[in-house]
Amino acid sequence: MTDVILRTENLKKNFGKLEVLKGISTSVTQGEVVSIIGPSGGGKSTFLRCLNLLEEPTEGKVYFKGQDITDKKLNICEYRQKIGMVFQNFNVFPNMTVLENITLAPTLEKKIPKAEAEEEAMTLLRRVGLEEKAREYPRKLSGGQKQRLAIVRALAMHPEVMLFDEPTSALDPEMVKEVLSVIEDLTRSGMTILIVTHEMGFAREVSNRVLFIANGVITEEGTPEQIFISPRHPATAKFLSMVL
Amino acid sequence: MTSIIDAFLDAKIIKVLIKYYPVYLEGIWGTLWISAVTILLGTLLGMVIALMRMSKVKPFQWFSTMYIEIIRGTPTLLQLYFAWLGLPKILPFEVSDTFCVVVGFIISAAAYIAEIIRAGIGAVDKGQWEAAKSIGLSNVHTMTHVILPQAVKNILPALCNEFISTIKGTSLASTFFISELLTSYKIVQSATFLAIPALTISGIIYFILNFIMSKLLRILERRLMVSD
Repeated sequence: MTDVILRTENLKKNFGKLEVLKGISTSVTQGEVVSIIGPSGGGKSTFLRCLNLLEEPTEGKVYFKGQDITDKKLNICEYRQKIGMVFQNFNVFPNMTVLENITLAPTLEKKIPKAEAEEEAMTLLRRVGLEEKAREYPRKLSGGQKQRLAIVRALAMHPEVMLFDEPTSALDPEMVKEVLSVIEDLTRSGMTILIVTHEMGFAREVSNRVLFIANGVITEEGTPEQIFISPRHPATAKFLSMVL
Repeated sequence: MTSIIDAFLDAKIIKVLIKYYPVYLEGIWGTLWISAVTILLGTLLGMVIALMRMSKVKPFQWFSTMYIEIIRGTPTLLQLYFAWLGLPKILPFEVSDTFCVVVGFIISAAAYIAEIIRAGIGAVDKGQWEAAKSIGLSNVHTMTHVILPQAVKNILPALCNEFISTIKGTSLASTFFISELLTSYKIVQSATFLAIPALTISGIIYFILNFIMSKLLRILERRLMVSD
C-alpha cells in the first residue's frame, strides 16, 4: 500500500444542480497506467480535472502520496508542478516559440537557468521528433505536432503523474498514431498515467487497469482483459458493443 | 451657382484663417495635450479598474463595477461638470478649471478603457488559463507571460477606437472655455460673427488630426500582429 500515489475518497462534483461526480473512490499506484473509458458526459474528464484541482471537488478528498490536496493551506502551484496534464485541444501557448513553451514553467517556477532548461527541452523535443521545430511558433505545427509539444511541455516539469484528457479526440485520424506512440513510450518509462480516451484498442494495449465511468460513478473496473473481453456490468457491455 | 457659393465661402474661410490662425494653433495644442494626458492616464487608471473588476476581492469588484456602470450610464458632459464643480471643493489646494476638466476626462475614459481591457482578457481561450495552471505557473506569471500578451491583440483595435473618441470628446472642454479646437471656434466666432467659416476650420483640423491618428494606429496594430 505504500506506493499508492493518488487516492480519491468519495469524490463528488456538482455544477450548479447537476451532479457530475457522485462519489468516486479509487487509488492509483506508482507506475500504473489507468485508462478511463465511458460515455460522454459521464464524468471522466471532470474526474481527471479534479485530480489537479482544475475543478474544485464539491465533496470528498484527493490524496497525493498521503497528503490531502483539497487542504486550503496547500500550495496549489507547487502541487500542480508534480501533475502533468495534456488536453484535448492542446492548449499550447501561441505567443511563444515551441522552445519557449517548454522552458517557460521550468525557468519561471523552478528557477532553472535558461541554458539548462533549453538543453533539456531540446532533448525532450528530440524524443518526440520535433527538434527541428524548436524555433517555430505553434501556428506552423500540425495538430499532432501541437499535441506532442503539449506532452513535452508537461514533461519538462518532471511530473510524477501524467493526466491525459482525450489527447487524440481533436486530431485528424492520420495524426492519432504519432501521439499515441509518444504516450506509449511514456508508459514504458514507468510514468504513472491516467488517460481518458476513446481509443479502445490503445487502452486495452497499454493500461494495467481500466475504469468504466458512467453517470458520475465507477461502474466497473478491472484489467483490460476483464473489461474488454468479459465485462460484468450490462452498461459496460452495452457501451463497448457500441464503440468497438 | 454652387461654384459661386464655394468661392464666397472659400474667400471668407481664407480671410478668417489668415487673421486668426494663432487662435487655431493654440486650439490644436490644447486638443493634443488634453487628449494625450487623458489617453495615457486613462489607460493606466483603466488597467487598475480592470484588474479590480477581475480580482477575487469582493470590495474591489463592487467598487469597480459601480464605477464603470456610473460612468457608462451618465453623459460625459455631466461628469465634467461634476469634476469642475466638485474637485475645487474636495481638494485641499487651489485647482484650475483646466485641471478639473482634464481629471474629469481621465475618470471618464478610464471606465471605457477598463471594459475594453477586461473584454480583451476575457476573450483569451479558457484552455490557455488551464494549460498555464496545469504546468504550475503562478497566477501572476500566467497573467504576464500567457494571458496578457495574447489579450493585447484583442485589446488594441478597440483601444485605438477609444483613442479617437477621446480626441473628439475633448471638444466638450469648450463648455468650460478651456483652450482647445472648439473653443478656438468660439473665440473666432465671437470676434468675427463668421460662424460657419470659423466652425469649418475647426472641423477640418479635427478631421485631419483623427485621420493621421487612425493611420498611425493602424500601422502600429499591423506591427504588433506581425510580431508573433
